[in-house]
Amino acid sequence: MIRPQLAIAGLTACFGCQLTLLNCEAELPDIADRFNFTYFPMGMSSPDITADFDAALVEGAVSTPCDLETLVTLRNRSRLLIAIGTCAIFGGVAAMCNEEPRSRLLRTVYGPAADGLASFNPAPLERFVTVDFAVTGCPPERGELLATLAALLRGTFPALPAYPVCLECRSRENACLLIERNEPCLGPVTRAGCNARCPAMAVHCEGCRGPVAEANVAAELELLIAKGVSREELVRRLRRFCPEWDYEQRA
Amino acid sequence: MSSVLKISPLTRVEGHGTVHVHFADGRFDRVELAFVEAPRLFEALLVGKRFDELPEIICRICSICSSVHRVTSLYAIEQAFGVEVNQQTELHRELIVNGGQIESHALHLFCLVLPDYYGLRGFADLATVAPGLLQAGLRLKAAGNLIQEMVGGRLIHPANLLIGGLGKPLTTAGLHRLRSALQEVLPVAADAIEQFASPLLAEVSLPFPSFMAVANRPSHSGGEIVCGNGSSFPIVDYRNRLTETIVPHSHAKQCTVSGESPTVGALARLNLGARLGPVAIASLNRHGQKLVGDGITANSLAQAVELLAAVERALEIVELLLAAPPTDCMQVAVTPCQGTGTAAMEAPRGTLIHHFAFDSRGICTATDIITPTAINQGAMERDLGLMARSLEGVDRQELARQLEMLVRAYDPCISCAVH
Repeated sequence: MIRPQLAIAGLTACFGCQLTLLNCEAELPDIADRFNFTYFPMGMSSPDITADFDAALVEGAVSTPCDLETLVTLRNRSRLLIAIGTCAIFGGVAAMCNEEPRSRLLRTVYGPAADGLASFNPAPLERFVTVDFAVTGCPPERGELLATLAALLRGTFPALPAYPVCLECRSRENACLLIERNEPCLGPVTRAGCNARCPAMAVHCEGCRGPVAEANVAAELELLIAKGVSREELVRRLRRFCPEWDYEQRA
Repeated sequence: MSSVLKISPLTRVEGHGTVHVHFADGRFDRVELAFVEAPRLFEALLVGKRFDELPEIICRICSICSSVHRVTSLYAIEQAFGVEVNQQTELHRELIVNGGQIESHALHLFCLVLPDYYGLRGFADLATVAPGLLQAGLRLKAAGNLIQEMVGGRLIHPANLLIGGLGKPLTTAGLHRLRSALQEVLPVAADAIEQFASPLLAEVSLPFPSFMAVANRPSHSGGEIVCGNGSSFPIVDYRNRLTETIVPHSHAKQCTVSGESPTVGALARLNLGARLGPVAIASLNRHGQKLVGDGITANSLAQAVELLAAVERALEIVELLLAAPPTDCMQVAVTPCQGTGTAAMEAPRGTLIHHFAFDSRGICTATDIITPTAINQGAMERDLGLMARSLEGVDRQELARQLEMLVRAYDPCISCAVH
């Protein structure tokens, strides 16, 4: 069997998506047997970014010229480019204050020295290059990452959930935090695939997997505002993982 | 004639870093360690957020250290609002921090450092050259992750640990599962230590580090930070003791204490007298003399001892929780008020400090985050310079290999350092 050449890279991120791969402890030896990790600086020395890749898995948002250079190089060198994790797909936590001037955020941390830093608003990969497939999550689920790698070996992509977290939450028979406990749960507008991890622990969904397709954002806002949560707070929570929502969108 | 040896990117470390060694007329001139990680500006992102949003955001600083970031932030926020959690909650927190320690040390030792013992590129080559050792490491790593997933609800960026309590405590069945998983890997952890007892680095005389660590008692916010010279200071006083400076070539601020670059992490903790269980003490007694004298070289061995200690302590906590099963109501009421909170904990790579200020509504008005790798940055750069000077004349490829191994000995977490 031909071993696909992989590139695994991190841009503006916490390395959690790459760590999720290394967290597949039971499968890791098998993965090592089936793929060539040609460019994976976190896991392997002598990374070669000039190789031709079958697939590049990219974690993180783009916020520096260096990020952009890595991304464009990998896009040019790789047959497939796969965005892994919420940051790469939506911008993620680093993008939550994108409505504020970048220079002010930089100065809060670095003072006057900030002016010499090349840093712009963190943005998803798709803003700059064509993305062939995306695995969302902060971090992504191990199972979804493994399914993606397995599908790659078969020359295809897996079908990942395209419905909201509520569907998985109800099927686990969790108490509904939104209706029964009046908590600002973002499950109705968030993409599933996590098997409702947080609501299963009685912790409301913080929306870390980003917007589900055709999310009824307007209804979610109306419902929570009627329960007494301020619009300001709701917008701030929604923006935590994805800075650009259509607040008027109805399914 | 000047030239530069560029190691870019640093590999088998977490985050983006480079080392540039400058030579003038063929002689070593200076070294620059640069953490070129893109700044995400967490200290600015947190301002304006309500107190209960902070733990969910701040754990995202780093995937490997997400549990300890989350727990440290909880203690800092609770200090600001005068909240005290019950013993069960404390035990859950200590358990997940130990789980994080097991995962982090196992990842570093077996996936990132072990390939150097065999002259390999990485974990993928170990799978064919030393499959048994890799498997042993992965089993340990999985045990740490099992703790993090069961206590935190998710093994990276845990969600279950809340201000004033817990979402859902561990069940008796869950505790039994953890007990058997930990009992299974305890001998694996004990056997692993021998593997990391022999030094990897070229014999270069490195200075005795100025160790620093959080004292174990009395608490994470009310406690003290101790230094190798015998001095100590209260955690709340950290701003008067730790000086942060911006260095032009790195995105992480550099830390000094009384003008010296401190060293934090496993080696520092063991040298400053960490609390260990009997099994870990026995192994420490066998290898103790190797843990002093050669600068940072022995840090991997110290991590291996701590890995065993963390498995042992996690087992103890599981037994304590089994003896007194958690009650249903774990949540303490939290009323925000104007104030500041500071907490420090020992993360896998060393001292981690969180500081927050809140207004009367509980909105965050200022934050300060100091991470282990930012603290180690100065000592790391100093040692790289000393090693490059000592190895002058050595073939450039070998020099680069030695310098990379030296960086790895510190186990840097660059996404934490820059945040």
